[in-house]
Amino acid sequence: MRQAFPILFSILLIITSCTKEVNIDLPEHIAELVVDGTIETNKNPIVLLSRSADIYASTDISSYLSYFVLDAEVKVICNEDTTELSLFTISELPIESQEKLAEMLRLNNLNELQELPLLVYSSIDLIGEVNNTYELSILFNGKNYNGKTKILEPTALDALYWELEPGTIEYGYSWAILSDPANQFDGYKWEVKRTNLNFDGLPKDDIFKRARGGTFNDQFFDGMTFDFFFENPMKRKDSTHLLEYKRYYRFGDTVVVKFSKMDEAVYEFMENKYTQLSTAGNPFATPINIPSNITGGALGVWAGYSPTLDTLICQP
Amino acid sequence: MKVILSAIILFFALHLKAQETSTLSGYVSNGENGETVIGAKVFIPKIRKGTITNNDGFYSLTVPEGIYIVEFRAGGIKIETKTIDLSTDVRLDKVVGGNLQNIKEVVVSANAEQNVKSTKIGQLELSINEIKTLPAFMGEVDIIKTIQLLPGVSSAAEGGQGFYVRGGGPDQNLVLLDEAVVYNASHLFGFFSVFNADAVKGVSLIKGGMPANFGGRMSSVLEVKMNNGNSKKLGIKGGIGAISSRITIQGPFKKNKGSFIISGRRTYLGLIMKAAIPESSPFSGSRCHFFDLNLKMKYEITKKDKLFFSSYYGKDDFSFSNLDDNFLVEMPWGNGVAALRWSHIFSSKLFMNLNTTLTDYKFSFSSSQDEFRFSLNSGIRDYGAKIDFTYFPSSNLKVKFGLDYIYHTFTPMSSSAENDDTSFDTGIAQSLYSHESAAYLLNEFDLNENIRVNAGLRYSTFQHVGPFTRYVNGDISTPDTLIEYRNGELIKFYHGLEPRLSLRWLLPDNSSIKAGYTYNYQYVHLTSLSAVSLPTDVWYPSTDKAKPQKGWQLSLGYFRNFIENKIETSVELYYKGMKNLIEYKEGSLPNDNIQDNTDNLLVFGNGWSYGIELFIKKRIGKLTGWLGYTLSKTERRFKDLNDGEPFAAKYDRRHDLSVVASYKINNRWLISGAFIYATGNTLTLPKSWYVQNQSLLFNYGKRNSTRMSPYHRLDISATWYGKEYKDKIDIETGKVIQVKKKLRTNIAISIYNLYNRANPYFLYIDKDGKLLSGDLEMKVKQVTLLPIIPGVTWNFEF
Repeated sequence: MRQAFPILFSILLIITSCTKEVNIDLPEHIAELVVDGTIETNKNPIVLLSRSADIYASTDISSYLSYFVLDAEVKVICNEDTTELSLFTISELPIESQEKLAEMLRLNNLNELQELPLLVYSSIDLIGEVNNTYELSILFNGKNYNGKTKILEPTALDALYWELEPGTIEYGYSWAILSDPANQFDGYKWEVKRTNLNFDGLPKDDIFKRARGGTFNDQFFDGMTFDFFFENPMKRKDSTHLLEYKRYYRFGDTVVVKFSKMDEAVYEFMENKYTQLSTAGNPFATPINIPSNITGGALGVWAGYSPTLDTLICQP
Repeated sequence: MKVILSAIILFFALHLKAQETSTLSGYVSNGENGETVIGAKVFIPKIRKGTITNNDGFYSLTVPEGIYIVEFRAGGIKIETKTIDLSTDVRLDKVVGGNLQNIKEVVVSANAEQNVKSTKIGQLELSINEIKTLPAFMGEVDIIKTIQLLPGVSSAAEGGQGFYVRGGGPDQNLVLLDEAVVYNASHLFGFFSVFNADAVKGVSLIKGGMPANFGGRMSSVLEVKMNNGNSKKLGIKGGIGAISSRITIQGPFKKNKGSFIISGRRTYLGLIMKAAIPESSPFSGSRCHFFDLNLKMKYEITKKDKLFFSSYYGKDDFSFSNLDDNFLVEMPWGNGVAALRWSHIFSSKLFMNLNTTLTDYKFSFSSSQDEFRFSLNSGIRDYGAKIDFTYFPSSNLKVKFGLDYIYHTFTPMSSSAENDDTSFDTGIAQSLYSHESAAYLLNEFDLNENIRVNAGLRYSTFQHVGPFTRYVNGDISTPDTLIEYRNGELIKFYHGLEPRLSLRWLLPDNSSIKAGYTYNYQYVHLTSLSAVSLPTDVWYPSTDKAKPQKGWQLSLGYFRNFIENKIETSVELYYKGMKNLIEYKEGSLPNDNIQDNTDNLLVFGNGWSYGIELFIKKRIGKLTGWLGYTLSKTERRFKDLNDGEPFAAKYDRRHDLSVVASYKINNRWLISGAFIYATGNTLTLPKSWYVQNQSLLFNYGKRNSTRMSPYHRLDISATWYGKEYKDKIDIETGKVIQVKKKLRTNIAISIYNLYNRANPYFLYIDKDGKLLSGDLEMKVKQVTLLPIIPGVTWNFEF
């Protein structure tokens, strides 16, 4: 049903085609702290802190960078051990953290990341472990903000396979079989990257990318074992991959699937986030404020993930 | 309560006195087509007693025995004066005129007098002829859009059919088509009304002072009466418009006994879309159209018994396809209503209507993309019965009493999802069953020459019964559980007394003061996730969790007519309180209903509205029309929304003005116009933006804290009438006489939104570009739905 709203919205705009910019009084805005933090199995924590901005505020790159918060005290507490996070430049981060940060920023490759003058909070002394709960504590402008997330026991896929799409000779979706644990909430994230080489001799993709609809829960299949598929979310980079098959994987592709689990609060944030992204401003849907798992009035999320990695070689 | 007891005591007192009286009763009908005339006046000047015909054209006047000169009249027009010996009861069915124009004026004038003299407060009536003279959107005469021009009534949004009365929600309006409830009175997402004007006889709106014979809704009753059909001769009329055409056939199936009317309407928007979208386009499979059909039959079994059958069936069909993405959305929805009524005259003083009704509303949504298919269905089916008695013991007293019953079946959400061969578990298809019933009694009587009272009491009950599955949502540590209720098992019982009182105090100079108090229970709710009223909104009954809505309203008005009732005016003040209003929890998503009860997603709160309404109407003459102005404030307060603070309702409008005028230049030309001004609707817009994982997200401000710019527009129309009469030489006298032409036509040209005002339909934040690329742009944009739109319709009748 969610997909109906953007459709109706689009139709309405197509039919009317009568929109104009207006300048109206919006509700008063007071800048709020925004947390964009993550920790996953075997990786260091990464936390980006920024402030929310007025709707009419400037959105050029220098203004955007000025919204980042670089003077906060950031700690992560796990099993009564406290780790202080400090600011890192991109190049100072371990390569795994750089890859994770590039995923978070939804960049196309690591090179794009190197060009960004960003500072992030992290620590090389802390590594995410399954079944641990991590509490993020932030002191900023004399105010405390706290959030908790747990790295859950992962659920691995039973199998991955590729199936030739009828009517094509070399294209197909990625298929998987999942046995969902019964009687518990399970929130999943499906991310992929292709590691087979491109014409330039480099892997097709540097970093993982979430598939369309790739965050989902087990509301409809609790305890079931079933087959499902996802489209290829990556951009069509080589001209021999026909445009009409851009959402398929190609015969010979090697696809690494990163299948992660997250706790319910993180899932709630993600679910509402994607809903807001698809419905924001749409008159057919109610406006949604995204529920943060950070207390103290901050926006954003502190997210723990427990991924499993599996490789799919696209051949029948 | 004291007033009601007084009324009952008075009722018996007057009844005893009635031993020395006689009753004049009967029907008043139009000689040209046999239609009964509503609101015609029967008056005895000698004793200054009179009455008016009811919705069935029936009147009953009980007076002391004697010989009287009785006038059948309305306003300044006296149809007939007749001396009648009322030493015994007399039944006199009166056929008035053959000239339709006179009949229209008769009815109109009678109603004008009632503006001051009746106990009705907050009630407005419009004849279909009045509605037809006003500018029509795309040439489609629209009853609900006309209703929206009345004070105290506002539209949901540009072009929308949903209407809000005195701060109540769109679900708080009881829309009746010949006593059958219509749940969704709109076509094409609300741009057109389901009521085909050719099949409609008249419309009345009760927005305050709701009498006890109506209930089940808190804010208003919109009563739409269908034509009975011409019982004298066969006639055909219709119209060909820019987007739709319609045809109506009516006539006798047994002369002077039985009549029928059948009226159909269909859009050709689908054809226009087909022509506009090339076959090569991925959207070529998209379509959009509606049709509807009205049928009514009347049969006079005896002088005392009449049978009426009314039905409506309409369907909308909308689909959107994108072949590029192998994507298809289909959304058909429609209403079907039927009513079978038996009216019986037990005696000259006792009149009965027994009505059985069926209402069926269905909405479905399905989408598919590649192997994934999702569908959703919702609907309502009501079986209803109502018996209503009207007793006229004397000219000073009218008593109504009756019973009302509806068996509801609500299917708020039934969904299924499949992916190739896998069927997902979308939960049990939930239907909810309930019995709604009421008993009522109302008395309308004169306390003295100047004060007239309408006191009523309604006792309503509601039973939610099984089968039903209750999802009891556990918290993190406790799993969800299910409670199963058996077929017919009582789950929840609600009941309550609903007192109603209206008073009229007649003042000199053709003026009066009126006051009204109503208390209403409403057992059904409309749940909406959207900011505008849509067919995707879901009706939901009261349950153990969703309590009935309760509302009370106090109104006070001053009414005065001028220039022999040609101009009527009124000023009304009102205050309305509402309890147990519903909204979705913040952040609720459409698919949250799946594997859950809708009421688990709802939050409950209160509302209030107050305001003042001014109304000036000129009913008769070359220039007719009205001016309505409302100054009001409407707020809501929900513990779980907006941090528990009050917020403006989305249709809270401080100012609402409408000016409507028609001018008859001559017998061939009529021009009309309507101007509307209203404070902009409220909506919730973001107060700030932030970034997470490079997604630009919004943080919304307080609920409905932004107000759109004011809404205003001017519509005009001109109607050219072909000659209605032609000259003919009378063979017997050799004189030239005028006879009605067989084919009578008119062409109505209208322009909606003459000065092309870009009215806000909604606002949204438009974002383009990427932050990290430095090319992000963010703007507040306003969407306007309807620019200047001309319309033309050719109407014919023979």
